[in-house]
Amino acid sequence: MAYWNKETTVQSLLDLIKQKLPNIEIEYQFIENAQYDNIIGTQLAAGSGPDIISVGPPAATQYNKLGYLADLSNLADRFSDAGTSVYSVDGKLVALPGISWFEGIYYNKEIFAKYGLKPPKTFEEELKLHEDLKKNGVKPQAMGAKSFEPMMKSSMGLIMNEFLSQPANKDFDAKYGKGETTLEGNWNAGLEKWSELIKRGYLTNDMLGIDYDQALDEFATGKAAMWESGPWALEAIKQKNPNIQLDMFPFYGSAGGPGWLIGGPGVGFAANAHSKNADAVMQVLDLIATPEGQKAFWENNQGGSSYLKGVSFDMPAEFDGVKETFQAGNVYAPWNNWGGSASSIIEDYGKALQELLGGKSDVSTVLKTTDKTTARLLQLNK
Amino acid sequence: MNRTAREFQYGLFLIPAFLFYVLFCVYPFATMFYYSLTDYSIVKQTGLHFVGFRNFSEIAHYDLLLAGIKNSLIYAVLMTVFQTALGILLAVALDKKLKTRNVLRSVFFLPAVFSPLVIGFLWNYLLSTSDAGLINRALTSVGLDKINFLGDSDLALYAVVFTQLWQWTGWAMVIFLANLQSISKDYYEAAAIDGATSSQQFWRITLPLLQPSVSVVSVTAMIGGLKVFDIVMSLTGGGPGNATQTIMTAYIKTSFDEGFYSFGAAYGVVFFGAVLVLTMLLMQLLKKWGGSNR
Repeated sequence: MAYWNKETTVQSLLDLIKQKLPNIEIEYQFIENAQYDNIIGTQLAAGSGPDIISVGPPAATQYNKLGYLADLSNLADRFSDAGTSVYSVDGKLVALPGISWFEGIYYNKEIFAKYGLKPPKTFEEELKLHEDLKKNGVKPQAMGAKSFEPMMKSSMGLIMNEFLSQPANKDFDAKYGKGETTLEGNWNAGLEKWSELIKRGYLTNDMLGIDYDQALDEFATGKAAMWESGPWALEAIKQKNPNIQLDMFPFYGSAGGPGWLIGGPGVGFAANAHSKNADAVMQVLDLIATPEGQKAFWENNQGGSSYLKGVSFDMPAEFDGVKETFQAGNVYAPWNNWGGSASSIIEDYGKALQELLGGKSDVSTVLKTTDKTTARLLQLNK
Repeated sequence: MNRTAREFQYGLFLIPAFLFYVLFCVYPFATMFYYSLTDYSIVKQTGLHFVGFRNFSEIAHYDLLLAGIKNSLIYAVLMTVFQTALGILLAVALDKKLKTRNVLRSVFFLPAVFSPLVIGFLWNYLLSTSDAGLINRALTSVGLDKINFLGDSDLALYAVVFTQLWQWTGWAMVIFLANLQSISKDYYEAAAIDGATSSQQFWRITLPLLQPSVSVVSVTAMIGGLKVFDIVMSLTGGGPGNATQTIMTAYIKTSFDEGFYSFGAAYGVVFFGAVLVLTMLLMQLLKKWGGSNR
C-alpha cells in the first residue's frame, strides 16, 4: 500500500486491519508528495506498482484511462454521491473516497461581537459585513493573494451556489473535463457577482503581495476579521494566538440555505488491476468502507468528514457554523471532475484572477484564458 | 617514460570523470532533442510516436512560454547592463586609497555568498505589503503610500531585478577589481602629465583596459539572467499572474507540473538555441570592442 502521507496518519487504520484481518499483511510505503505521481506512474507503466494505490481525483482518472485500476463498483452504494462522483469514471467506481478536506471562511467571534455583527446567511449579507467592518476601521478579510489558491476557491464557492448546484448543471463539470462546454458563457454571471468583492474594495491589490503565512498571521493576531482557510490551519492559528475565538461560515449565494464548502474527498484508495493479491485487496477495501474503518482513518485526520452513508464525526467547536453545510453534504471541488490535468487548469484560473485583482483583466478574459488552457491540455492529452 | 605512455596514464585518470559527464550531462542533453520530436508525457511513457515539429509550433501559441521569453530577455539585459556598469563604478571607487576599503569590499560582496532561496525569502518579507513588510512600514511612517513591489504586475519583475543586483553586483566588483589592479600605473602617470582629467583617464585608459573582465562579467550575467529560476520561485512564484514567469519557470511548469515532457523538451531545444545565438552575438560585440582598443 502506497500513500503520500507518513504511516502515522493511517496508524489506527493499519492497526484495525491487522486486528480484523489477521491473515493479511500490509507493507506500507510512504512516498513524498512531490515525487508520488512520478514514481507510482512509472511503476504502473512497468506493469507493477502497489496493490492498494492512494490516488487523488486527477490521477484516478488518468490511471483508469491507462487500465491500471480495478472496478470497485460493488462498494459504491455504501458512499454518498458527492464522494463517489469524484472517483467514478463513466459510472464505474475506481477508488474509495477518503476523509474530506474543506475550505470556508474563518471569522473572529470577538471582533464580530464588538461591533454587534453576525455571520452572514447570503452573499449580499456577506458584502454588507465587509462594509460594516471597513467603516469601523477593521480590515474585513485577510487574503494571501500571492498564491493562486484563495481567490480560485473563493470564486468557485460563490459559483457553486449560484450555478453549479442547480439541478440543470449537475453534469457541467464532467462535461467541462471532456471539453464539451466552456466556462465562458456559463460562469460569467457568478464571477461578475463575486468580483463585487474587488469592485467595492474588500479585496485589494496589495493583497497580491501577501502570501499564505502572512495572511494567517493577520487573522490570528486580530488585524483582519475574516480569513478563508481550512482545518489544517487551525493549529497554527491557535499557536500564534491561544485566546482567539473563532468559527467558520461557508460560501453563500444570493439565495439562503446551508451554503457550500469547497473541498472534497481527500485521498482515494484504489485497487491495482494487475495485483496478484486481488482477493486480499478487496477484503481490505471492504473493511475501509465500513463505519469502523472510516472512524479508524478519521482518528488520525480529524476535522474532515466521511463520505460513507450514515457516518458522521465530531467536529471541533470551531466548525459549528458549518455543521449545517456538512449535514447537507455540500462539500465539493468542481475541478475534481475536470480530468487528469485539473491541477494545471486551476492554477491558470487562479493566476488569471490575480490579473483581475490587479486591474489588468476582466471577467470574460479570465474565463476565456482558463478555457484556452483546458483546450490546450485536452488536445495534447489525446 | 615516453610521452605516449604518460598521455595514456592521464587519459586513464580522466575516464571516471568523463564517463560521469557523458552519462549525466551529454546523454540527457542529447535525448532532449530526441524527445522534443515525440509525444512523451506523463500519460505516455512508453511506445512513443514521432510527431515531427508539432511541439515546436505549439510554442508560438502558448502565452505562458512567450511571456517567459519576453521577461527573461528584459531580465537578462537589465542584469547584464547594470551589473557591469555598477560593478565597474564600485570597483573604481573601492580601488582608491580608503581606510575602510577592505571592510567595504567585504560588505558589498557578502550578499553573493547566500543562496538565492534565502535571499528570496528574506526579500519576500522586506518587500511585502503586510505589516511585516519593513520597507513599506518605513514609507508609511514618513507619510508616503505603500508600494506593492511584488503584487503589482508592472513592478514585480523590476523588484526581482533589484534584489539580484543587490546580491550579485559585489561579485562583479571583485572581478573588475582584479582586472583594475593589473593595469599599470604608468598609464595614469603619463596621462596626468599630459593634463588628462580623471574623467578622461577613466574613459580612455581604465575602461578599454577592463575589456577582459567586462567580457567575463557580461557573458556570465547574460547567460545567468536567461537561466534565472530559484530567485523567481522563492520571491514571486512567477506571479502575479504571469508577470514574472521566466523561461526556466515556464519550462518547469510545463514539463513537471503539467507532465508534458516532450513539449518541455522542445522548449529546452529552443532555449538552447536562443542562449547560443545571444552569447555568440555578445562575444562578437566584445571582440570588436577589444579589437578597436589596440
